[in-house]
Amino acid sequence: MEIVVAVKPVPEAETRLRPDASHASLDPEGVKFVLAGYDESAVEQALLLKESTVGSRVRVLSFGPAPRTEEVLRAAVALGCDSATWVEHPSDLLPDAVLSARCIATAIAGPFSGLVLCGRQSGDEEGGIFAGALGALLKVPSLGYATNLRWKEPRGQLTLQRSIEGGLEEVESSLPLVVGLQQAWNDPRTAKLPNILKSRKAAIEKIPWEATVATLGPHAIPGTVRRTFRLPPPRTGAKMIRYDSPQDAAAQLVRLLREEAKVFP
Amino acid sequence: MPDFGLSEEQRSLQELARKFARTEMAPRAAECDRLGRFPEEVMRKAWELGLMNLNIPTEYGGSGLGLVDQCVIVEELAHACAGMTTSVIANCLALEPILLGGTPEQKQSVLTPFCSSYHLASFCLTEPGGGSDAGALQTRATRDGDHYVLDGEKCFITNGPHASLYTVFATTDPELRHKSICAFYLPRDTEGVTVGREEEKMGHRASSTSTVRFEKARIPVANRLGAEGDGFSIAMRTLDQTRTPIGALATGIAQAALDHASAYALKRHTFGKPISEHQAIQIKLANMAQDVHASRLLTWNAAWEIDHGRKGTLESSIAKCFASDAAMRVADEAIQVFGGYGYMKEYPVEKLLRDAKLAQIYEGSNEIQRIVIARELLRRYA
Amino acid sequence: MVVVAELRDGRLVEPVREAIGVARSIGGAGATVIGVYVGPPASEGVGEFSRAGLDRVVAVEGEPFARTTSSARARTVAELLRELAPRVVLLAGTSEGRDLAGRLAVEWEAGVATNVTAVEPLAPGPIQLTRPIFGGRATQGLELPGERAVLALRPHTFPPAAASADAAPVERRAPTLPQVPVGAPTMTGFTASATGRGPDLAEASIVVSGGRGVKTPENFAIVEALAESLGAAVGASRAVTDAGWRPSSLQVGQTGKSVSPQLYIAIGISGAIQHLVGMVSSRVIVAINSDAQAPIFKVADYGIAGDLFQLVPALTAEVRRVRGR
Ligand SMILES: Cc1cc2nc3c(=O)[nH]c(=O)nc-3n(C[C@H](O)[C@H](O)[C@H](O)COP(=O)(O)OP(=O)(O)OC[C@H]3O[C@@H](n4cnc5c(N)ncnc54)[C@H](O)[C@@H]3O)c2cc1C
Ligand SMILES: Cc1cc2nc3c(=O)[nH]c(=O)nc-3n(C[C@H](O)[C@H](O)[C@H](O)COP(=O)(O)OP(=O)(O)OC[C@H]3O[C@@H](n4cnc5c(N)ncnc54)[C@H](O)[C@@H]3O)c2cc1C
Repeated sequence: MEIVVAVKPVPEAETRLRPDASHASLDPEGVKFVLAGYDESAVEQALLLKESTVGSRVRVLSFGPAPRTEEVLRAAVALGCDSATWVEHPSDLLPDAVLSARCIATAIAGPFSGLVLCGRQSGDEEGGIFAGALGALLKVPSLGYATNLRWKEPRGQLTLQRSIEGGLEEVESSLPLVVGLQQAWNDPRTAKLPNILKSRKAAIEKIPWEATVATLGPHAIPGTVRRTFRLPPPRTGAKMIRYDSPQDAAAQLVRLLREEAKVFP
Repeated sequence: MPDFGLSEEQRSLQELARKFARTEMAPRAAECDRLGRFPEEVMRKAWELGLMNLNIPTEYGGSGLGLVDQCVIVEELAHACAGMTTSVIANCLALEPILLGGTPEQKQSVLTPFCSSYHLASFCLTEPGGGSDAGALQTRATRDGDHYVLDGEKCFITNGPHASLYTVFATTDPELRHKSICAFYLPRDTEGVTVGREEEKMGHRASSTSTVRFEKARIPVANRLGAEGDGFSIAMRTLDQTRTPIGALATGIAQAALDHASAYALKRHTFGKPISEHQAIQIKLANMAQDVHASRLLTWNAAWEIDHGRKGTLESSIAKCFASDAAMRVADEAIQVFGGYGYMKEYPVEKLLRDAKLAQIYEGSNEIQRIVIARELLRRYA
Repeated sequence: MVVVAELRDGRLVEPVREAIGVARSIGGAGATVIGVYVGPPASEGVGEFSRAGLDRVVAVEGEPFARTTSSARARTVAELLRELAPRVVLLAGTSEGRDLAGRLAVEWEAGVATNVTAVEPLAPGPIQLTRPIFGGRATQGLELPGERAVLALRPHTFPPAAASADAAPVERRAPTLPQVPVGAPTMTGFTASATGRGPDLAEASIVVSGGRGVKTPENFAIVEALAESLGAAVGASRAVTDAGWRPSSLQVGQTGKSVSPQLYIAIGISGAIQHLVGMVSSRVIVAINSDAQAPIFKVADYGIAGDLFQLVPALTAEVRRVRGR
């Protein structure tokens, strides 16, 4: 069978983020785009499933602009994916997740009966809506936050775990299914040097943007508009909390962390 | 050499090496340096990823890379730990004589096992009585029917304690100097081979170095590379190939020193501002950057010459010599930028100075490189 | 305005109350906020939902929903939305809520945004939102131009709606759609996560670190208790690891680990440059120190000058109270 993996090129973790001239998106100048941890886990999971069933293959798809999208596809091929499809997007801006799902769904094409894996959220906007949107578009069930997928007899049944609030959920499912993978549930492999060299020469199927637009029609217009991209202001010294009692200080701090800093867990 | 950029392919090799260096080597570098520990696990992983036998052609299962490719990889590895890098690339050094002097059958039978499973090999040229003067080596090879009997001692042998195969240079008649030198390969378990204890070193402490002794060690004649007397040329041509990556290794050390120093200078404050705003520090960083950049370009240039079928003796000697001297200067200045912290083992820069030093000594000391450079240079005017 | 309920162990989860609060505040005085519950029969949870500040509740209860995941419920929710025709649907930004958001966006043909931390009051024209991206290293302003929007809110960011004294009317409906497609994902078990073992220091989204101000190895438990209450990793200054109070693997700083969590809380740490280098890139820094002149306050976002032995236990208690455990 064919296992499909959808991946997204995102800036590598050490990137110094800068807004572009429009202040609406990230400035891609000089940024190195890679597979994010979540997507790496999806590729790793696909390869493990492939290795546990003879005769299966892994097809990797990615939606985005040149050259970054082709680069992450080659990286996935170097890791062991058998074929790659680049769904072209003419824009350098961070793409809309639902639009990404529509374009990938178009590329998958036809009634879908298999397994699609992706990261449970993207490494840049971290929306976590891609798997659900793709599942709905393909008209198959979907779930996110998954780890540890295994085949189960009879063929076609899967078991997996979902790491969600408060614990680990055990799930069983048949196919078709779209699964969003939790990050680094195990150590994803590193591509070997000879495979990297081979991947440079691998054929990558390209679906031009015009072809996708022709299929999607009005749906090719994203449902969200990225208006601003801001970096946190530089630090100017702490806001000192004045308080009557330790309890008062604690309550003030928790409120500030929730409502102002928005970092309360 | 019109194109100074790397190809996409070279970029992906660089990325692999960088990732390996960051995730596998760097986290262990300080510990291995402190304990003088040879990280076998790192060596195995490097082998698995194909980072070890870079120069072996793909037909024997190796990576089959050119020298520019090798330099790109070696620089990244050395950025994390020069000692581990020396051990990782020792196979390239030890197996190059077989590539240069071996028959197709010898290549097939020796090189293939190195690429199908993890093994280390050592290059045994230097002797206690002489390193720079390789023509003066004293290890004797005495013909006995279809065997040679080997007697003598080699020293400073990288990976000596861990290797399963040695390439050895020995003489059939010391009087004849380089004309009588032969190159052989023999398995470590040959009777009469003994490995000395690990040397305690100033730097490259993650690399393993020892003596290797031969006492009536019998080698089949079939294990000789080339004809009798070809050994010296094989050794020199080997070093012509491996000298340039030492320039890359030195560049990696220097780049690491520059990276550490620049990041530190932005954060350390004195007299009310980051030290990076004091001009004396800026000048240091600017000089360091020039050294790093020049080292890299000289190294790539030498590698490119050799990849294009030229001998590159002048270029590779310049690259190795300049880059290793530069690495010393840059590491030294990095310590100065760090002040007292730079002198502490808890910070990473003093190790760089200790590591850089070796690059001036091994694979032909910088004095020898200058002799070669001058000879090549003057020939053009004579 | 519709808010979709989420229950855990039969109880309404806190982020749903926050979603109701947001629905009220962005919708303005005249807005109707309808609660939608799709799930297994849960009279207690639905009752709680009906008293959470809603105008009315529509509940579709069916036994098979008990073991299904969000995608099985999405169709029923989308069916209800087509009938109720709200402008905005608000979801709790939990794993369930986010899984549901993407499906609803497609099945109900709406714009969607998750991890939302601010919503402008509704007005004619596009809906304006803010959310953190890149792990909080940047903030994105987003516009949803369509007529319908699905928003999943970042949990614990908005104040919850006050519960109402009277229960809103609950309309119970029988499930109409085939609830569980054959072979769909089915929950077969659940293991509650063991508390005590916190996340890895380098990867944690919250780090709580203690310094020499904690004074003894035994006292360090105060720092660990706060970390536990927040689900945070524990860190330390070198003063602590050198003294052997805690292992050196916890050392944060130039010669320890570099961390850049969403939230870093420094307790009894003076803020030596060697420590700062390892944590200044944290998104939000809180410092608690008895010395109001301590250099740590220069890099912190929020500071409390005072005795950690009084402040930290109070903070732990407050965190436990708010997080409901
Ligand atoms: C850590 C380490 C690893 C090594 N690994 C290996 C290995 O794997 N295999 C191997 O075969 N060897 C190895 N070596 C040996 C290394 O290549 C030699 O140390 C080097 O060639 C110098 O030889 P020497 O030490 O005998 O110094 P000498 O030859 O005794 O030289 C002493 C000094 O005199 C200078 N000098 C010598 N001749 C001249 C001259 N004509 N003009 C001017 N100056 C001169 C030298 O530059 C040096 O400064 C290693 C060495 C070290 C330290
Ligand atoms: C080579 C070298 C490398 C180093 N690397 C690191 C490193 O990686 N990481 C690191 O952290 N340090 C490092 N240091 C050490 C660093 O310089 C400082 O010494 C160290 O960070 C101080 O730790 P501290 O803030 O816990 O202690 P102190 O500086 O002693 O500060 C203790 C603080 O606790 C406060 N306090 C005391 N009692 C209370 C109370 N009851 N309530 C509230 N507050 C109270 C005090 O006001 C004071 O500010 C390094 C130093 C050297 C020389």
